[in-house]
Amino acid sequence: MKQAIVIIAECRGGKPSPGTYELMTLAEKIRQGKPLPVKAIVLSDEVEKTSQEIAEATGASVLGIQSPHLKYYSGELYKDLLHQCLPEMNPAFVLVSQTTQGMDFAPGLAVRLGAGSITGVNGMSWDGNNICFSRDAYNGKIVLEMLPLMETTVFTVQPGAFKSMEPETTATPGPVEIRLSTTESRNTKSLGIIRGEQKDTGLAEADVLVAAGRGIGSKENVALIEQLAALFPRSSVAGSRPVCDSGWLEYKKQVGLTGATVSPGLYVACGISGAMAHRVGMQGSGFIVAISTDPNAAIFNIADVCICEDLTTFIPLFMEECKRKKRGPLPEQSK
Amino acid sequence: MKILVCIKQVIDPETLVNLDERGRVVLPEGDLKYWMNRADEFAIEEAVLIKEAGFGTTVDALTVGPKHAAQVLERAMGMGADNGVHILLQEKDFLSPLNIASYIAAYALNKGYDLILTGVMGEDHMQGQVGPMLAELLGFPCATSVIFEKISDERGAVYVEREIEGGFRSVLELDLPAVLTVQTGINKPRYPTLSNLLRAKKQKALVVESHILGATEDRERVVRACYPGKSRAGLMLEGSGKDKAVRLIEILEKEALI
Repeated sequence: MKQAIVIIAECRGGKPSPGTYELMTLAEKIRQGKPLPVKAIVLSDEVEKTSQEIAEATGASVLGIQSPHLKYYSGELYKDLLHQCLPEMNPAFVLVSQTTQGMDFAPGLAVRLGAGSITGVNGMSWDGNNICFSRDAYNGKIVLEMLPLMETTVFTVQPGAFKSMEPETTATPGPVEIRLSTTESRNTKSLGIIRGEQKDTGLAEADVLVAAGRGIGSKENVALIEQLAALFPRSSVAGSRPVCDSGWLEYKKQVGLTGATVSPGLYVACGISGAMAHRVGMQGSGFIVAISTDPNAAIFNIADVCICEDLTTFIPLFMEECKRKKRGPLPEQSK
Repeated sequence: MKILVCIKQVIDPETLVNLDERGRVVLPEGDLKYWMNRADEFAIEEAVLIKEAGFGTTVDALTVGPKHAAQVLERAMGMGADNGVHILLQEKDFLSPLNIASYIAAYALNKGYDLILTGVMGEDHMQGQVGPMLAELLGFPCATSVIFEKISDERGAVYVEREIEGGFRSVLELDLPAVLTVQTGINKPRYPTLSNLLRAKKQKALVVESHILGATEDRERVVRACYPGKSRAGLMLEGSGKDKAVRLIEILEKEALI
């Protein structure tokens, strides 16, 4: 049977997630060299609308698996249901978004399918007739190009790595098949969703964010970050996960995969290595300045301006120069 | 209750990593700095907290790695783990997560572990695969990115909250035995105590040669390593610290950001 590219769609509030259309973009890129059919699988307690929307927007054929037990995500049930339907599709590529959900079930699914597994995919290239998939290593300082060796490989794809496919209204909608399932989890009970740490709305509203990473070295140096932020109107202090884990900043200040996603006009990254988990939360910022002592820090690859200095000496110097130019805290100004 | 905590030794993220002309990673010569993967420290702490809460718990810390990885077992025992298990690797090469998970599964099979903990991901390669793969190999239920857990002894289950996007948590109950990958921030990892460290030095970890656990065929191959491309200008400012400060102000003024 002909092989296929299978996308596992993620639903958010009854709609396909933006990541689902990013997976479609990757599928199209694969198809440029390997013109395999694209199929999407939707898993939910209510699949019809989402399945229809994907079929209309992409022209892909969609399998919707509906189960009353899928009101809330369960990794075990996902693996069971996908293992029931994937082998018949003969997938060469199973594409999953690298969200907390995708990362939860994809590696285990790969094991169950006897498939390969590559996580953190952020690029694709051709090596002759072979497709290589790239992922970060060594905190984003190195990119590894990986070659899948199995009939089937499961990939988790970094959010934002591929541009979301523009839904085409002219495409012929793909066929939609809905299956009802009554399969239950054997050893996992899903109990629902609750709210964790409160988000800081100040992060989303700030024009300027000065963010601290583990490289600031100690809690005392948070004061420096605050002083730097105070130079800018409508600014706020943010931080990477390790800084919040250390208790140097509150969790509501966290930017990244499990924190806030921000896009201020200016983002000043202080002592941040630039690992994927942080980058996905801030790569859309207007202008990025990075300060780090590590000349190879990954953050420098996504910054507009890079400053290889110790921030405990550089920030005071910068503030002094600002003062010398009589640039204290400015009144609000329009850009 | 028997707990296994899988930990990894990682290289200092500030280490200068180079590539040779054939696109292979070259680490600098000399003494490299290694430490316990941060997320794994939280996993050890969580296990020790369960032990302190009772349940007649023993905690085994396990690592897969070369000789120098033994340091992280000492630290884990210093934090309160009872025993150390070192699956010793000869090769220095990049081992796939499936390889690592298979070694651990081969060791842990039929040892009667009720709970297996590990960090949410390695801070070096950030693959986050060993935990969920290990669960699948052992046929245990699994929850990743766990930010809160509570053992329900009478039910033989563990209540977990997984950290998901947007400040929410997904709530689950898993039957034991289960595998949890622990998110950083779930607790405050303690420092090793001197008395525990002395005990660790005396007790020594159990060493298991990896080859007796059987090898797994690689399912993907690293073709080459390269430096990441730049997605922005990445203008590196030159000169003294003061020069850079002056230049940065000029740039921010030009961009109307200050």
